[in-house]
Amino acid sequence: MKQFPRSHFILSLSIVVIVALTLYLLGGCTKKDETTRNHMTGTRKNPIKYRLKWLYNASFAGDIWAREKGVFRAHGLTVKLLEGGAEQDAIKDLELGRVQFGVASADQVIRAVSEGADVLVLAQIFQKNPLQWIYNQKRLTINRPQDLKGLTIGITYGGNDESIMRALLKAYGIPTDSLTLYAVHYDYNPFWKGEVDLWPVYRNTEGIILQKKMQKANWKAGFFIPDRFGIRFVANSLITSGRIYREQPALVKEFTQAVIEGWQAAMDPANLATAARIVHRFDTDTPLAIIKQQLTSTRTFVTPEGKWPMGRIDRAAWAQTLGIMSSQGLIKREIKLAPLLAGPPP
Amino acid sequence: MGIFKRLLQFASIFFTGLAILWIIKYAYSFSDYLIPPPAELLQVATSYWKIYLAAVVNTTAVAIAGHFSAILLATLVAFLGRSGSVIGNLTRTAAYNLQAYPIVAVAPIIFLFLGDGLASRLLIAAMICYFPLLLSFIGIFSEPVDQVEHFFRTTGRINWRLELAIRTFENLDKITTVIVGSGTMAIVGTIVAEFLAATNGIGYTIRKALYQSNLAKILVALFLIGLFSSLYLSLIEYIGGRIKMRLMGG
Repeated sequence: MKQFPRSHFILSLSIVVIVALTLYLLGGCTKKDETTRNHMTGTRKNPIKYRLKWLYNASFAGDIWAREKGVFRAHGLTVKLLEGGAEQDAIKDLELGRVQFGVASADQVIRAVSEGADVLVLAQIFQKNPLQWIYNQKRLTINRPQDLKGLTIGITYGGNDESIMRALLKAYGIPTDSLTLYAVHYDYNPFWKGEVDLWPVYRNTEGIILQKKMQKANWKAGFFIPDRFGIRFVANSLITSGRIYREQPALVKEFTQAVIEGWQAAMDPANLATAARIVHRFDTDTPLAIIKQQLTSTRTFVTPEGKWPMGRIDRAAWAQTLGIMSSQGLIKREIKLAPLLAGPPP
Repeated sequence: MGIFKRLLQFASIFFTGLAILWIIKYAYSFSDYLIPPPAELLQVATSYWKIYLAAVVNTTAVAIAGHFSAILLATLVAFLGRSGSVIGNLTRTAAYNLQAYPIVAVAPIIFLFLGDGLASRLLIAAMICYFPLLLSFIGIFSEPVDQVEHFFRTTGRINWRLELAIRTFENLDKITTVIVGSGTMAIVGTIVAEFLAATNGIGYTIRKALYQSNLAKILVALFLIGLFSSLYLSLIEYIGGRIKMRLMGG
C-alpha cells in the first residue's frame, strides 16, 4: 500500500485545525449574540451595539445625542456606538451577529438585499442626500446640468457619487464623452490645482470645511446639487436584521424611537451649542465652531419637509434609488421595496 | 524552488482558503453579500478576467521597475555606507533612521508633488522594498570575508571592486533571499500606492470593488496577485541560481 506522505498529513491536519478553529470562533460570535438576546435591552458589560456608517462627525449627531444625553437609557437601553469607516459595513456586522443595529446608505442596503442579506430599514435619517459637488463660482457658472458639458467632474468610481452623476447625465441626455470624469481619491489637490472643476463632497461635513478654505484662497464655493434636478438617491438609514426585528420587536421599537428622539433633540436649533459640544467630544479634530456650522447644515438634510416626522421613510426616493441601481446594472436581481422598508414595529 | 512547485503551493493555499470560506458560508448560512457563492466567483472571473489581468500585469510591471530601481539604489548606497569613513557612518545612520517612517504616511506628500500617476506608484514601490534591501546590503558589504580577503590584503592586491566581488560571491544566497523577499514587498508597495491614489493597477480595482462590497472581485484580484507574485519571485530565484552557477563555473 502506498504510504501517505508525512508532509501531506501535516498539511491536511493543519487545514482541519484551521476550519475547526474558524467555526469555533464564529460560533463564539453567535453565542455572544445569544447572550445579547437574553439581555434584550443590553447591559453595561454586554451592551447593544450600534455601528455607524462613517467616522464620528456631525452626520451622526442624533445618534451621539441619544447616547450621551441618556435618551437610550430613558428607553431602558444600554447602547455602545461603534465608529464606521471605509472598511466597516454595518450590514455585514449585522449578519455576523456583531451588532444589533447600524447605519447604512440605501445603495448598500439594496445591494445587500439583492444578494440575500436579511436587512430591514427602520428609519431614514437623511431626507435628502448631502452628497453634492463643490466648485469655484468665481470661475464657473453652473445653473443647470447642461452646464456640466466640457468640465472635468470628480467621481469615486464604484461609489454612490458615480451612480448619482451617471443617473443625472442620463436623465438630462448628456453624453459622458461631452465631459471628463476624473477618479477622485482622499486628497483634494487636483481640485486645488484646477485639474478638476467639480469635486464630490458631503455638503454638511467636508463641504463646510472646504468652503472655508476656498474663502481663504479668495475662491467662492458653489455647490452642484443633484437633488435639485430630480435625482433622489437615499443616504443614511437606520437598519437592523430581519431576525432581530422578528424576535425582539419591543427592542427594535424602543431603539428606533430613541434614535429618532436623539435626532429631534440634536437638530433643535435651541440645542445647537450643546449638540456641538457633544459631537466635539467624539470628533475632537474638528473645531467647535465648524461643528456648529456642520450641524446647522445637517439640519437641512435631516428635517423632513412639511409635517412629516423625523426619520420618515421616503418610499418614492427609495424607488428612484432602486431604479437607478437597477438601470446601471448594480444589483444582481430585482427586489421588492415594500417588505424592506419596514419601519419600526407597531 | 521550482516555478511549478511554487505555483502549486500557491494554488493549494489559495484554493484551501477558498474552500474554508465556503465551508463557513454554508455551515452558517451566510448570505451571498457576505461571502459570494462559487457560481458568482466563476461568473465574475469569466466576465472580468481580461480587465483584472491587464490591471495585474500593469501592477507587476510597475513593481518590477520599482524593485530594480531599489536594488540599484540600495547597492549604491550600501557601497557608500560600507566603509568606516564619515560618509559611510552618516549613510548608515540615515538609512537606519529613515526606515522608521512608514511609507503610507509619506505617501500623501509623494502624491502631492508627483500626482496620482505612474511616478508615484513607482516611487512608493521602490521605497517600500528599498529599506530592507539597503539594511541587508549594508550588512553584507560592510562585513569582511576574512578567509578570502586576508590573502589579497596581505599581498596588497585588494581594491574596492575585488572587495565587493568577494563579499557578493560569498553572500550570494543571502542576497538572492533578500531580493526575493523585497520583490514581494515591491508588489505590496505598488498595490498600496494604487489603493491610496492611483487610477490604474490591481490595487485601484480592489478599491473600486471594496466600494461595492464585492468580495468576488476581490478574490479574483487576490488570485491574480498571488499568481503573478509567484511567477515573479520564481523568476528572481531562477536568475539568482543562474548567476551563482555561472560564477562557480557550473
